[in-house]
Amino acid sequence: MDMLLDLTLRWAHFIAGIIWVGHNYSSVVQRPSWQPLRAEELSDDRSPRFQALLNREHGFFRWASVVTWCAGLLMLWRQGWLPGALALQGGLAPIGVGMYIGTLMMLNVWLVLWPHQKKVLGLVPAGIDERLRCSRITHLSSRTNTMLSIPLLFFMATGSNGGLL
Amino acid sequence: MRHPYDTARGTIALGVLLTLVLAALVRLLAG
Repeated sequence: MDMLLDLTLRWAHFIAGIIWVGHNYSSVVQRPSWQPLRAEELSDDRSPRFQALLNREHGFFRWASVVTWCAGLLMLWRQGWLPGALALQGGLAPIGVGMYIGTLMMLNVWLVLWPHQKKVLGLVPAGIDERLRCSRITHLSSRTNTMLSIPLLFFMATGSNGGLL
Repeated sequence: MRHPYDTARGTIALGVLLTLVLAALVRLLAG
């Protein structure tokens, strides 16, 4: 039963992580360079750019970030590795660094990206200038997670392979 | 002036740089 739970947690961690980071990477592939939104694209909610923004905003990746984080934390806790990972002790230091980076990424999604994205999409009332300002912040927040995912994946890999670091 | 995050290349370069710095720090911590 314990093995089944461990396997389920690891599986959930992988699937949810791929959904989360996959959404982020897909936005980088679709729009590799920053292209500012224009006021007319926001004021007309039928504009193709605005519709594309709305279609991407189904909340799936935000909740995937929570599942990834919870499953990762539970795995560490069940193995008795959580205190060592938190304290970056010995062989648990790499996965500890990965855990801190993943936590920052999840907080970035919920505390920086989402509140500003709600204004961009008009879910929270705001003037056009404020919505344009928020669209720049959501871009930087999203790319921060793209950037952080690179060391995160490295430390996840080295955490389970050990030895190298 | 453009931000490194304004291109995919800049974002990836920063990510690789941060990886190298953190890996060096972890090695230092272990040593």
